[in-house]
Amino acid sequence: MIQVKDLSKSYGDRQAVKKLNFTVNKGEVIGFLGPNGAGKSTTMKMITGYMAPTSGQVSVSGFDLFEDPIEVKKRIGYLPETPPVYLDMTVTSYLRFCAKIKGVTQEGLDGAIQNTLNKTGLDGVKGRLIGNLSKGYRQRVGLAQALVSDPEILILDEPTVGLDPKQVAEMRNLIKDLKGQHTIILSTHILPEVQASCDRVIIINEGEIIAQDDIRGLSNRMSGGGHLKIKVRRLSSQVAEKLRELPGVKESLTTGNYIEVKTDGSEEVIENISSQVVGLNAGLLELQVSTLSLEDIFIQLTGAPLTGHSVEVQK
Amino acid sequence: MKNILTIAGKDFKNLVTSPMFCFIAALCSVLWSFTFLRSLIMFAENTQAMFNPGGQTPSLQMTVFLTHISQINLLFIFIVPALTMRLIAEEKKLRTYDLLLTAPITATEIALGKFFGAFGAVLLLVLLSALYPLGTRLITTFSMAPLFAAYLGVVLVAGTYVAIGVFASSLTQSVVLSVVMGLIFNLFLWFLSQGAESSTGLYMTSILEHLSIGDHFMSYIRGSIRIKSLVFMLSCMGLFVFLTQRVVESSRWR
Repeated sequence: MIQVKDLSKSYGDRQAVKKLNFTVNKGEVIGFLGPNGAGKSTTMKMITGYMAPTSGQVSVSGFDLFEDPIEVKKRIGYLPETPPVYLDMTVTSYLRFCAKIKGVTQEGLDGAIQNTLNKTGLDGVKGRLIGNLSKGYRQRVGLAQALVSDPEILILDEPTVGLDPKQVAEMRNLIKDLKGQHTIILSTHILPEVQASCDRVIIINEGEIIAQDDIRGLSNRMSGGGHLKIKVRRLSSQVAEKLRELPGVKESLTTGNYIEVKTDGSEEVIENISSQVVGLNAGLLELQVSTLSLEDIFIQLTGAPLTGHSVEVQK
Repeated sequence: MKNILTIAGKDFKNLVTSPMFCFIAALCSVLWSFTFLRSLIMFAENTQAMFNPGGQTPSLQMTVFLTHISQINLLFIFIVPALTMRLIAEEKKLRTYDLLLTAPITATEIALGKFFGAFGAVLLLVLLSALYPLGTRLITTFSMAPLFAAYLGVVLVAGTYVAIGVFASSLTQSVVLSVVMGLIFNLFLWFLSQGAESSTGLYMTSILEHLSIGDHFMSYIRGSIRIKSLVFMLSCMGLFVFLTQRVVESSRWR
């Protein structure tokens, strides 16, 4: 569906994107993960035809972006970081304008607009000026704009940034609902977001792909090689010792109120540990599989902490 | 074609329904009501005082309308950049430009759409200004043909200012800079004729004279439609729309 070959972009001396190669298949939801300034937005802008790469090729549904930019743009719905909304227009008139310039036919216009309003839950505010809507609603209007021509591909640049937790959840649900109908590329610097919505992740840092993985692989990476933290009511060294004897357990230590266990990361071990703790009648209060943050994964992948601009990682 | 109309329609509607446009239109009509009436009364007094049997009476066209239309032109030099300033500059600033650049439309369609949208709004102002001479028709008779020629000149000159304004707006993100640039471009085009007067070289003088929009405009006000002036102003519009198209297109390559 989307093929990216040796895509590079430099701004003067600074190379923002270095020779990216990846493919996106039809119907997939791809997460673009990376810290701020990693080149996510730049890559997305290049795929949408908003800016030209310094070198490299992009083809979408068999059309080359540079030979047939119009054909490619017809197939892409793009939600930039800042929703591109006209504050002095009403939601309906804005969507009407978007639908028209995206080539929706006159007959299909009303249907397309109503459909989009329903999908994005904007029906209740359709007559209001976009300038008077909250940030969450504006973001939805932005998404509606990307959806209105029913494109095959959706490219969403940090769709949840700056929203409150409730709006973030709503946005994620919206994206989940769109799964299956569109091929989606989504960029974010927030790990759980990728887990919530994507099939596959591409992790980039400093303009280079440092890992491509499906969501299971990412989860395994995130499980941090099987670190467990256990809290019990009756803490004794005996519990830790018993756990150490289990197959697959590498280490078991009592630190503070917790027992920290290192395992080989398989699910059976976790199951055994939990039944063991319960069997010992120690009074299991908490058992958590500690997850790695984006930063930890980066350290794991690159052997170096995150570089680039300020890094905000939601732990 | 459809895309041009869509963009033009949106910008026309947004411009005309904006409070700024209504305010400008209202202020213009206040000014014109004052000055037009004054020059009309002066004209009436002069013709009565002037007892000139058999001789030529001063025409309405060359006195009242000429003043009126010169004034429209003067106002437009300042007003048109104010109307066009937001067209592209603000799209850039509010990031709605992303929408236009990622939609399946060409840079030419964007440039033409913006031009026609603003041109439509300015034509409304032209129409407003035409009410004054047309209203004069109610109280006296005069030849309409020179007036039409003069108004054709107004439309062409307004179109040139619009094309310049859209171009200025495409160059920057700042609406203030855009309005200042538009204004200076307009004034520059207007002041070229002064360069022609002071220039000594024979060729230079004639080149500058041809380039000065003032000379072309004056021939229209006097009631003559000259093909070379028509071609000049249309190519001015074409040039600046073309330049706008290049600027829009170039944003993809930067």
